[in-house]
Amino acid sequence: MQHCVSSKRMAAIRFTSAALCAIGAYVVLGAPIALAQPVDYGALEQLFGEPVTTSVTGKPQRVTDAPANIEIITQDDIRRSGATSIPQVLQFVTGVDVRQDGIASVDVGIRGYNQASNPHLMVLVNGRQVYMVDYGRIVWSAIPVQLDEIRQIEVIKGPSSALYGFNAVGGVINIITYDPLNDKVDTATFRAGTPGYLGGSAVATAHIGDTAGVRLSAGGFSARDFAAGPLQGDDRAARLSPYADNFNADSRWRITPEIETFAEVSLGQTQLSGQAPPGVFGSERLLSNSVRMGINADTRLGWLSLSAYRSDARDNIYNVNGGVPIQVGDYQSTYVVQASDLMKLGTDHTLRLGLEYRADADDSGDLAGGTIGSMIYAASLMWDWQVTPSITLTNAVRTDVMQLHYSGTLLQGTGISNADYNHTTLVEPSFNSGAVWRATAQDTFRLTLARGVQLPTLLQYGLQVRPGFYAPLAFIGSPDLSPSIVWNAELDYDRALPVIASSLRTALFLQRTDDVIAWPFGAPLSIAPTGMPLFRSQNVGYSTAAGAEIGLKGHSDSGFRWNASYALVATTDHTALNRGPAPTSIVEYAESAPRNVVIGGFGYSRDKWEMDLMARWQSSFLDYRMNQDRTALIPVTIDNYVTMNARIGYRVTENVTVALAAQQFNAPALADTAGPPIQRQIILSLTTHL
Amino acid sequence: MAQTADAASLSAKDVQVLGRVMAFLQPPPGGGSIAVVFAHDNAASRHDAEAIVALLGDGLRSGGGMLRPMLRDSASLEPGDFSVLVAAEGASGDAVMAASRAHHALCVTGDLAAVQAGACTMAIRSEPRVEVVISHAAAAAAGIEFVAAFRLMVREI
Repeated sequence: MQHCVSSKRMAAIRFTSAALCAIGAYVVLGAPIALAQPVDYGALEQLFGEPVTTSVTGKPQRVTDAPANIEIITQDDIRRSGATSIPQVLQFVTGVDVRQDGIASVDVGIRGYNQASNPHLMVLVNGRQVYMVDYGRIVWSAIPVQLDEIRQIEVIKGPSSALYGFNAVGGVINIITYDPLNDKVDTATFRAGTPGYLGGSAVATAHIGDTAGVRLSAGGFSARDFAAGPLQGDDRAARLSPYADNFNADSRWRITPEIETFAEVSLGQTQLSGQAPPGVFGSERLLSNSVRMGINADTRLGWLSLSAYRSDARDNIYNVNGGVPIQVGDYQSTYVVQASDLMKLGTDHTLRLGLEYRADADDSGDLAGGTIGSMIYAASLMWDWQVTPSITLTNAVRTDVMQLHYSGTLLQGTGISNADYNHTTLVEPSFNSGAVWRATAQDTFRLTLARGVQLPTLLQYGLQVRPGFYAPLAFIGSPDLSPSIVWNAELDYDRALPVIASSLRTALFLQRTDDVIAWPFGAPLSIAPTGMPLFRSQNVGYSTAAGAEIGLKGHSDSGFRWNASYALVATTDHTALNRGPAPTSIVEYAESAPRNVVIGGFGYSRDKWEMDLMARWQSSFLDYRMNQDRTALIPVTIDNYVTMNARIGYRVTENVTVALAAQQFNAPALADTAGPPIQRQIILSLTTHL
Repeated sequence: MAQTADAASLSAKDVQVLGRVMAFLQPPPGGGSIAVVFAHDNAASRHDAEAIVALLGDGLRSGGGMLRPMLRDSASLEPGDFSVLVAAEGASGDAVMAASRAHHALCVTGDLAAVQAGACTMAIRSEPRVEVVISHAAAAAAGIEFVAAFRLMVREI
């Protein structure tokens, strides 16, 4: 089935073409100046006295200069949080929501729109995407990064599709690890605590002169999962104990002063309980691996970069239905090739050209009756213009062309054929524009506009679950789905407050999501052309959001540090979902995330001691789980709550630190979803820096 | 670096920034000296230069070596082996730029107007936030090149 491009999309495509012509005309006016050497984050951060990022535009920038709302979590922040996982750190970032219903079962959202198996967030490790292609979700315990090897976590709020492509609509989290060539990190950490938690990690770096470096890391954990709480029967029986083991090798070799290569390999396995599929509680076991290689070169044409990576995952999902265990499996694969050219033209202009090819596939007889996949071809252009010493204008545009393909045996009677998939092609433009005005030495204004694109996930397209497998009716995907389009406008104001050694950050934003996608487990009942009743992925309307954030953060030379923030997101859904007396979909963004969140933190370091206290209050929201016979959704109100974390660290020697951390010490259990409540955790850790 | 009172044109923090900038020169100077230049027959300029030398203390680490500071009169810059020129108050001008070109030395000042006029290569300011401004023409004339990531993050004029 050929997907016809709507007139609205054609207008967007014409805009993209015109923009490219205008920028292309400008490019020929200046000769590119050759650049050299990669980004040495540590040295640049020391020079400018603040973190440096390439995540917003592809060029290195000071965080305060970036044309986006970005927050940086440093390695010091990670250590002081006492966290044992990345989501535990993220829950104290303004505008970020974390929903957790198991030790390792976590979903993260930015500015609302959070849900089980959230597909709105893009997560990367050093620019490599790490989400699962089945539902576009993140399995955090499968990310092959140890906390000790993270230099910084960059949280970009709002759509960033012009740089990252499809699915970077809610926000982007880029996990930046230490550089194997410029940084030397050698640590070992051991952790033990509740509930039945044992974990550890080791990171080692070796340098060969100043031309090559390799960093090896390994780590993992095992634990008893949170108590089952409200889960009964099949949902309770399907829970397995969580664990994870990951290994990563990251290397960089400077062949000449102008040319360097890099290579990365990772392996991992994890088991966790959670919602699989959304609304149904089960467990999954995941084996994953990835290989990435690339080359950077300083040439007369600019700083050229070429990289390729392949990642795959073998996933087994375990449920219980009517007392009978069910196991489904799939094999997910991703191949990506990326090329870019970053060049400075004259004194005021920076351009970045990008090309990308991506192939994703989900091979599952159980879930798809075969293999559903997509191929994406993309081209992007970023232009950064220092208009005046105090004003910078950045524009980025990108066009993605997606082709679906399917091979296998579709369910009979649904009215969909293999040809319907194989003839589906989408062309979608996206853009990000930002103006930064440094009005005074203390005041900065930022205005950003964006159009982001969320592609339906592979199983939203190609799910084929027969009647009686999870429920009496069939659940299927649809090749007719339109991608969701996210429009975002934001105004930020930052002010430095040197009198109190702090900085104030504020933001106002408006967002609209067109063609919201309801996947089969959250879609209204449909009738196929053959008369067969089923649940089918569909576009269900639009959603709007408005919000505000305000935060204050500071530290003193005497060792004190503090932060306080408030975030508001008011979401309104205009969809065909949940209009009757009984809920039919978990897709209810107006209710699915807390509207108000207050975060506070206080810390103090003196001599060998380090103490930190963090607290988060969030307002109530609504979640769902399925009833035992899988025929109805049960709405569950998640009451407002406060969670408080604390950590005390003591440096025994120059190389050895002992720390005691308590996650949620103020309450033994807190309901955070319709599933098991989060339990208090006490963790003792021992860290050695070699 | 000696902890003394800030010079009129460069503060202790400015000098610290200068030390970090050395790592981003392409290639970084491996040794030699820093010529701290004062305007000929200008007592205030000489006083400023002496304060800057005091702030530099034993010198700046660069490329595995040390750049030692030395006081120089702008009227006598021809001889000598220096990799960096620091122009004290009132010293930026034709003589300093000529020496910068002849020695392929980086010229640094706290006077932004001098860099805007092309009379020195780099201006440094560390308060209220670190700012580095580079004259593209002056850098090109002196054969000064910087690491790509650094060039992308500073203001060029």
